[in-house]
Amino acid sequence: MPDHAGPAGGLTRREDLRLLRGEGRFVADLALPRLLDAAFARSRVAHGVLVDVDVSAARQVPGVLGAWSARDLPDLPVVPPFGQPGVAEGRDWPALADDRVRHVGQPLAVVVAADRYRAEDGADAVRARIDALPPVLTPQDALSGPELFPGHDNVADEAEFGDPVPEEVWASAHLVVEGRYRQQLVSPFSMEARAFLAVPEGEQLHVWVSHQAPHRLRDNIAQALGLAPDAVRVQVPDAGGAFGSKSATFPEYLVVAALARRLGRPVRWIEDRAEAFTAHTHGRGQDQRTRLALDADGRFLAFELDVLANLGAYPHTGVVVPQQTALMATGAYATPHVHSRMRCVVTTTTPTAPYRGAGRPEAAYAVERTVELAARRLGVDPVQLRRRNFLAPEAFPYDTPTGRRYDSGEYARALERCVEALALDAWRAEQRRRRDDPAARPLGIGFCTYVERSGGDGPMLREFGSVEALADGTFVARCGTSSTGQGHETALAQVVADVLGVDLERIRYVAADTGEVASGVGSFGSRSMQMGGAALHLAAGELVDLARRRAAQRASEGGALVPVAGVTWTTGRLDLGGGQGIDVGDLVAATGPLRADHEFRQDAAFPFGSYAAVVEVDVELGDVEVLRLVAVDDYGVVVNPVLTRGQTVGSIVQGLGQVLYEEVPYAADGRPSLDAGLFDYLVPTLSEVPPMTLEETVTPDPGNPLGAKGAGEAGCIGVPPAVVNAVADALELDDPGTLQMPLTPAVVWRAAAGAAS
Amino acid sequence: MKAPPFDLVAPTSIEDAVLALAAGADRPGGVAVLAGGQSLLLDLHHRRVRPGLVVDLRRVPGLGAVDVHGSGVRIGALVRHRAFEDPALVPGAVGRVLPVMAEHVGHPPIRELGTFCGSLAWAHPTAEWALLAVTLGAQVTLRSAAGTRTVAAAEFSTGPHATVRGDAELLTAVDLPLPPPGAGAGFVEHRRTEASFAAAAALVVLEVGDVSVRACRIGLAGAADRPVRATRAEAVLTGAPVTAESFAAAARVAAHEDADPRAEPHGPVDHRRQVLSVLVRRALVAALDDTARAGGEEAA
Ligand SMILES: Cc1cc2nc3c(=O)[nH]c(=O)nc-3n(C[C@H](O)[C@H](O)[C@H](O)COP(=O)(O)OP(=O)(O)OC[C@H]3O[C@@H](n4cnc5c(N)ncnc54)[C@H](O)[C@@H]3O)c2cc1C
Repeated sequence: MPDHAGPAGGLTRREDLRLLRGEGRFVADLALPRLLDAAFARSRVAHGVLVDVDVSAARQVPGVLGAWSARDLPDLPVVPPFGQPGVAEGRDWPALADDRVRHVGQPLAVVVAADRYRAEDGADAVRARIDALPPVLTPQDALSGPELFPGHDNVADEAEFGDPVPEEVWASAHLVVEGRYRQQLVSPFSMEARAFLAVPEGEQLHVWVSHQAPHRLRDNIAQALGLAPDAVRVQVPDAGGAFGSKSATFPEYLVVAALARRLGRPVRWIEDRAEAFTAHTHGRGQDQRTRLALDADGRFLAFELDVLANLGAYPHTGVVVPQQTALMATGAYATPHVHSRMRCVVTTTTPTAPYRGAGRPEAAYAVERTVELAARRLGVDPVQLRRRNFLAPEAFPYDTPTGRRYDSGEYARALERCVEALALDAWRAEQRRRRDDPAARPLGIGFCTYVERSGGDGPMLREFGSVEALADGTFVARCGTSSTGQGHETALAQVVADVLGVDLERIRYVAADTGEVASGVGSFGSRSMQMGGAALHLAAGELVDLARRRAAQRASEGGALVPVAGVTWTTGRLDLGGGQGIDVGDLVAATGPLRADHEFRQDAAFPFGSYAAVVEVDVELGDVEVLRLVAVDDYGVVVNPVLTRGQTVGSIVQGLGQVLYEEVPYAADGRPSLDAGLFDYLVPTLSEVPPMTLEETVTPDPGNPLGAKGAGEAGCIGVPPAVVNAVADALELDDPGTLQMPLTPAVVWRAAAGAAS
Repeated sequence: MKAPPFDLVAPTSIEDAVLALAAGADRPGGVAVLAGGQSLLLDLHHRRVRPGLVVDLRRVPGLGAVDVHGSGVRIGALVRHRAFEDPALVPGAVGRVLPVMAEHVGHPPIRELGTFCGSLAWAHPTAEWALLAVTLGAQVTLRSAAGTRTVAAAEFSTGPHATVRGDAELLTAVDLPLPPPGAGAGFVEHRRTEASFAAAAALVVLEVGDVSVRACRIGLAGAADRPVRATRAEAVLTGAPVTAESFAAAARVAAHEDADPRAEPHGPVDHRRQVLSVLVRRALVAALDDTARAGGEEAA
């Protein structure tokens, strides 16, 4: 018997011993002979004509090997475009700023030195002359402002989903509510910022990087540098988080890779935390408008969502985010008419990119805030209103008006479980008690029922898995996903161990190395278990079949006639009947390599769940205290509950960050006001984590061999709308426009004062 | 986030320390004292300061004591924040409020290393210890190779991270006068996360007679670019009856007449005044409650 309890077993992470002992190996830990450090001189101006970059003083700094601006490196490639062709056209993202600067933090020059201290001394000595132009900081300003890329509209992409709602639906509705919501710009904030090391090995280039999509990065780097794909090997060692923000091909990567080749020495760039605030990407950044029509019974007749999204300085991976929001506008409801529109614009902020949830938190927020607003206007219980409008379990597969095919769902069950776990009636009683007591702080309860999408879209709906048996009786599992801390060494190996019926120790897990893994899409969109796990599950099954066939054939060659059906696999041993058998290791030793590869394909899956928040508001100060959070998530079949729990908790805390604390606040001059770093950009830590109850329901994914849907992003989808709904409930607030994230004391105090007057 | 180059010396006497400061003061970028390092290291890594020389104070003997004498307490340059978590350290109202304030200074690892005097020298506009020193009317002792002088805490800081201390001067001690027995103290702070600096804070020391306020000190952080006394509010409250109405009136005066806050990201001026008003009112109530405790202690 394997040493874990199968799919229900909660194995703790086998990587943790290494990581907790400080024996993890991150990019910054890779000590190589003749290693050089790169640092970037960056723009402090948001927008302007770049007249001159003077690196001469930097070259004189002791310990500096060289300093280069764009002019010194005319062969530098531009950042390879991402997504639909056309969006980046005319809006090239240079690796080093050439004629214009377009955001604070944009790299102007690179300095290479013997260590990071000297490199920063050099970067400090770089001088730039920039003729400032007015910054464009909000999507609205981009719509009305001058073209940032002359000859190209500031709207880089737009799309509509679903049919426009007929006018008479709005006109004849019992109630129409409208919402306006702002998704602030946030920093994805992984513990480890970006890290990139390029090692020239003859004509080859070996790249070590903290990254979510190593195969795509390999192709991008090879193409950009004019190399064959197999001349570049991309490898991800231990990584300290990514949250969507490490899946792109960044300007700094191209510069460092090009310099490593030029200098013939390993060069690394280890981004630091302060640098990442402006140099790395932002997440979110949308202005949303919603409209919901209801009949007299509270049935949803139509929903409309308009998204205006900030792409920042250059359109890149950020383009997929508002599209995702618009596609998910249907939410959990059987609304007959749903129409969504998204436009995304370039501005002069740091470029945006997917950030945990990547479009689905924004969608759930727009839908769920509007639903609770409608409940308040109708004077009905928001739980009741949701129940009345949920898609029924029989409705699946369900083609939403906005073009999604939902696989399966039991939305009412998740909400029921949430209401029970919360003990809603008791909280409502407490709320009434406080409403009668003028000295008591008001209490509010808010909900969110979300549906999200996992696995990917289009060409990303595939993943590679491979399982090989070795002569020593161990196995190698290879997968195209790339862990940035999620625990794949445990969870994905566990999938293989379960099929093979062997101890986890016998599985060596290999991933995120283009030299070892034939192909891969990567880890984002909650896809690793659903896609990679399924690929490994099927590959392991195929390996068992291969082994059985080979054992039968070998026995037959030895004279005995053994049908394949007569060979059984148990715990790594092939039983031929009649007391005969062979260990799979011995079979490999006798017959040669044994390996099964599987390229798994599946449509997107749609995890869902219900969240509830109870808050107390100090209306004098505007402080919000979250008294309780309940999360009920349905990730389909869960392979390792310890790991999904960790993902849920982490994601919930990031959701708390967005709703209560985090924002990159741009001042009028285009600079983020973050000079004091983490004293200015507040992230929640353990002290800010409220009491929470985590529960789950299980609705298997019908199209997945494990029954698994994605897990990992739900918390930051469910928490923000639940908390803001709870604050609106506490304040009995009808005007949703005043309560925008983050709910700082000033915002809440103003909303409370408005509600009271 | 790497420090620019600097030299480091670690003197073992106060005389050597001030000589080192005198020598370093002429260097480009000047000289910096390293005490607990909880702010200096960040400043160095962010390259907000570029001293040519850093003088490490930690091997200088005799700077780690808290001396309680008749009417006051002297705090040496190397006394850590953590020392003030001990409610038995200092007698009376200040002794009771110190642990409450200490808990608001960063988090435990910061308090283990950072120093009271370093906090004053660094002069963050809402630092708890600077608020305490200004509210109580503390004296700051500065020593250089040329001699020793004392400066009133209210005159010490001249703005965010700016003080009257010369580069060659070492802050050797701070003297806190203690209020008379029977006084009560109350401290209330508004901050967004446990690890945040105060957005605003109020510290009140209150002496009450049978029906009216005999004397009071009201200190505000987050009302200006340094901690200040709310002198108008103090005047309004002194002699006023001990009632919720007079507390509220004093709080309003503190927030709207004494305070002169500037807008900050997430901190518009009208909200800051509102917060200050609420904090002063709550601190007054806490101080009044504390006078009851003071009575109990004296009776015992
Ligand atoms: C995460 C975090 C949270 C924090 N939260 C708070 C908070 O809530 N409230 C708060 O008040 N502080 C807070 N701090 C700052 C902390 O209190 C610092 O310890 C304190 O401000 C400086 O004391 P230090 O001994 O560490 O001084 P250092 O960092 O060593 O020095 C700070 C500055 O003062 C000068 N200096 C220090 N000692 C002397 C001396 N004896 N004579 C002359 N100059 C001197 C140094 O040259 C330097 O310029 C926080 C710090 C961190 C990192």
